[in-house]
Amino acid sequence: MSPNVTTAVEARSVCKQYGALIAVDDLTFTIDAGQILGVLGPNGAGKTTAIRVLTTILAPTRGSFAVAGVPHTRPADIRRRIGVLPESAGYPEQQTGDEFLRYHARLHGHDKASGRSVAKALLTEVGLDDRRHSLIEGYSRGMRQRLGIARALVNDPQVVFLDEPTLGLDPAGQRQVLSLVRRIANERGATVLLSTHLLAEVEEVCSRVLILNRGRVAVEGTVSDVARRAAAPRSAKLRVPPEQVETAIRVLAGAQGVGVARGANGLPGTLAVTLNVDGHSPEMNLGLRALADAGVPVLSFELEGARLSDAFLAMTEAG
Amino acid sequence: MVAERHAPRQAWRIVGGRELRDIWVGGRGLTLAIAFSLLLSVVAYLVATNQALNFLEQRESVNLTLQVVIAVGALLALLTAADAVSGERERGTLETLLVTPVRRLHLTVGKLLAALSLWVAAFAITTQYVWFLGRGVGIVGDALATGLIVGSLLAVFLASLGFLVSLFADSNRISLSLSLLLLLALFAPTQLPSGAQKGWAGDLLLRINPITAGEHYVGKIVVDGHSWTEDVSWLASPIIAAPIFALIAAFLGARAMRLSGGASG
Repeated sequence: MSPNVTTAVEARSVCKQYGALIAVDDLTFTIDAGQILGVLGPNGAGKTTAIRVLTTILAPTRGSFAVAGVPHTRPADIRRRIGVLPESAGYPEQQTGDEFLRYHARLHGHDKASGRSVAKALLTEVGLDDRRHSLIEGYSRGMRQRLGIARALVNDPQVVFLDEPTLGLDPAGQRQVLSLVRRIANERGATVLLSTHLLAEVEEVCSRVLILNRGRVAVEGTVSDVARRAAAPRSAKLRVPPEQVETAIRVLAGAQGVGVARGANGLPGTLAVTLNVDGHSPEMNLGLRALADAGVPVLSFELEGARLSDAFLAMTEAG
Repeated sequence: MVAERHAPRQAWRIVGGRELRDIWVGGRGLTLAIAFSLLLSVVAYLVATNQALNFLEQRESVNLTLQVVIAVGALLALLTAADAVSGERERGTLETLLVTPVRRLHLTVGKLLAALSLWVAAFAITTQYVWFLGRGVGIVGDALATGLIVGSLLAVFLASLGFLVSLFADSNRISLSLSLLLLLALFAPTQLPSGAQKGWAGDLLLRINPITAGEHYVGKIVVDGHSWTEDVSWLASPIIAAPIFALIAAFLGARAMRLSGGASG
């Protein structure tokens, strides 16, 4: 990437078609250098196809794109600047993690000595140093995903594409991978495009989000922008001590901005509250203040419809 | 950011080296070589020691051994090449290779050379058997040289053919089955009754098929004791087929190595 490039990925009307099937349609977006973009979408939305086009594995049917400042007409130059963890990547079972990384380091232009040191450093970085000489066939799924991320970093890429990196991992494995994703952006300064169907992952690590639906961009922006644009919250759940539920319902019934409050399923003391105002309005506090004035402690409070999951459902179901 | 790295100039050597290790260290290469060695040992022992079974003249024994190594070596090279792309696809390892900056021509060359190592190993194992069976009749040198040339041409031809099938096959099973079927079709004329192999049509059929033509040439040198040049016309189809198929494999490998087989992608 030339020193002045601040746009890491720029896609303009990219389309990928297989016969009559349009897998990606009019994909247009940009990612600034250093950002983590979460690409969300239901199964078949075109996430993997979009990544394969952007990583030069598939040629676009129409449109153009540039990665790290390199136009798509120079795929070999793009490949030198990117790291990719493909969806459901396979691994050579009879190689050790160290051999696997050294091989890919050599393919990216490292000589034997630097390939060895890069492999060692990356295996340490992803927490596999103690298993570097073990055959990959003995690695767990989480270890393989971390090895795959290490492989994606052998060329110190400017843009890293991670396609469903936490798929099939247990919560601890997911946490390790997400922590790695954060470090790739924060410590290496690389731009990350993270494809996932787990909304919580995007909320946790991404600075921006792009929701794909049926091959088209449904919405794009910061996580909070997208959530706000998608669904203005009109309901909330709060929890009070179970013995004070009746008092809370009575107090909320007379409070400004609150429509109806009633008992709800869930933990004892949970109330579902319908709002007369936008959940982002300061008037929302009036109901809470009324409870505080009545001496009813509020144990928890959460607006519904303000989360990325609500935006995701709104965008993908509408499409 | 560190300085940008360029793909190595001779990436085919790195790819070939890795493929060789995968075949011979972690794969089935060594097992196949040992199995082939045992097979040849049994054949050689029976032919050389058992009076009841020793119905072959010494030159014919050497010829039979060479025909076996050419068939087995070519078969192994063919099947290894037939797994080269479709196998990687099926194991999910092709995409990680395709996103490296290495040119696909280098991937093709590295994989083809590694596949040919099975033929080289099979021939190396055979040399001692040919020496043992052919000692005393002054045929060992000619037999080994002829076997090496013809076998190498056929191995290149068949490995390239297998690679091409692998490049376009929708699955590894299809690639391996189709390659095997093609090999059987190419060997089929050797099983024709001798009457069908005569006349201009039979002669043409044997000459245009690189396998039958190559084996015929080996027989003429080893069994009939002809000179190298006397029947050199029989070498025409192996000499033409090997480089042409290798070039087609290299050309299409460089342009059509894709994540999916068939015509998609």
